Amino acid sequence: MRGLWATLRNAFAEALAKPAALVSQMAVMAANDFVWVVFWVLFLDRVGNLGGWDRDRILLLQAVLTAAGGLSLGVFANARRVGAMAVDGGLDAVLSLPVPPLAHLLVRRIEPVNMGDLVFGIVLFAVVGDPTPARTAVFVLAVLASATLLTGFLVLTGALAFFIGRSESGELGFNAMLLMGAYPVDVFAGAVKVLLFSVVPAAFVATVPARLVDDFDLGRAGQLVAVAAIFATVAATTFTLGLRRYTSGSVWTRA
Amino acid sequence: MTRRAFVEAGRGASRRVVAEPGGLVVSLAFYLVIVAVLSGLWRVAVAANGGDLAGYSAVALTWYIITSEAATVSVHARLIADVGDDISSGAIAVELLRPASVIGVRVATELGRTLPKLAALWVAGGVLAALVAGAPPRPVALLLAAPSLVLAVIANLIAQHAVAAAAFWLRDAGSAWFLYLKAVFITGGMIIPLELLPNGLERASLFLPFRAMAYAPARLASGFVEPQLLLEQLGWIAVLSVGAVAVFGAGERRLQVVGG
Repeated sequence: MRGLWATLRNAFAEALAKPAALVSQMAVMAANDFVWVVFWVLFLDRVGNLGGWDRDRILLLQAVLTAAGGLSLGVFANARRVGAMAVDGGLDAVLSLPVPPLAHLLVRRIEPVNMGDLVFGIVLFAVVGDPTPARTAVFVLAVLASATLLTGFLVLTGALAFFIGRSESGELGFNAMLLMGAYPVDVFAGAVKVLLFSVVPAAFVATVPARLVDDFDLGRAGQLVAVAAIFATVAATTFTLGLRRYTSGSVWTRA
Repeated sequence: MTRRAFVEAGRGASRRVVAEPGGLVVSLAFYLVIVAVLSGLWRVAVAANGGDLAGYSAVALTWYIITSEAATVSVHARLIADVGDDISSGAIAVELLRPASVIGVRVATELGRTLPKLAALWVAGGVLAALVAGAPPRPVALLLAAPSLVLAVIANLIAQHAVAAAAFWLRDAGSAWFLYLKAVFITGGMIIPLELLPNGLERASLFLPFRAMAYAPARLASGFVEPQLLLEQLGWIAVLSVGAVAVFGAGERRLQVVGG
């Protein structure tokens, strides 16, 4: 555990070593997120509400999504690269260390651009989320669960590359998850809705956590935690099993 | 000689895309997910507003989205960053040795790479739109939308090269593509028709080139027969070309003087 903390501290120190680059990249991502907020404001000004989701609730959903996405893609940046590293044989360095490979891999690298998402999500919640102490506590816990789920999903889709030999599944999964997660699940119907609660669990990444912040329900919170735990466990198991099929590419990187 | 170089560069790039269908399939899957979600969103919005939003029906907006997304998703999203990397690393210096315009060959190559993707996406999007919403509102407008899509891609590629040329001076264009793409998102009408923007923003978009990159073909595909949009696109292409060639030329001279 101490080793993982030290690795995480190093990753942060590495990102902070270039403060100007860090700030500019975070600002660019925050501007990117702001454009989505503008879109939703313009859209809902015209439409009124979307399947019961008004402007405040949609912006709360965006706050959860950007904060959870920022935490997952910013702090656990390698989650998105598992598939590419598996196919390219880029895991040699981490496998030679006396640490749990997946945990080390996840905390090894910070992505400054996505740290902008995290900050934006928190600021957006502070501005539009009516942050009472109770709502703030639920927001924090919901974002942590959502980030766990997202990271688990990214690792799982990436680790499939060990078995199918191509890394596109990870990138497709990533895009599908963020894209679908950006919309309230009530917009969808039928098979798509079932899909969003199961195979591509985008509903649990933003819609369910946002509902919890607005209207806390112990049963729904339990479902969110259970789904996050299931995806995290399946992802870790798939990665561990996949390592047995790993072939070195003699690419000696710091992973 | 120069024209032949452009044609060959474009043709070669097209062949490479067709010979490697894996990338095409990934783009297609990504595009279909986007247009399915976004067009669904707009159909819900139209239904909530009595079947009409600023003159667009649900069917028209579905055709709008499949076209605006085809125009933008088919273009390599990180082109600005990639061109900027080639400039800042000095790799582009090798291309200066060729007896043909660097930017011309690069735009022709990207156009060749984009056109097969554009065709595949638009056809697939059309099938999806026909299935989930209905036939195109005015089929004749599609005849104008097809050349407009090609002009949209050309305008986009030239503008991206012009922006990337900043790397000749700044040594980094890494983050610019994010902001560029977001300008196309809103003021280019990629995810929202310009008629639905607030008045000030809609007026501002009239004076920006981004509307030539998504809005023009999408407006035509949604059933509005407005051939003047093609002329507007040609005008923007002329302006962007002059600007891009001037910026690239100045950058190349700087590279030759200072060294790559």
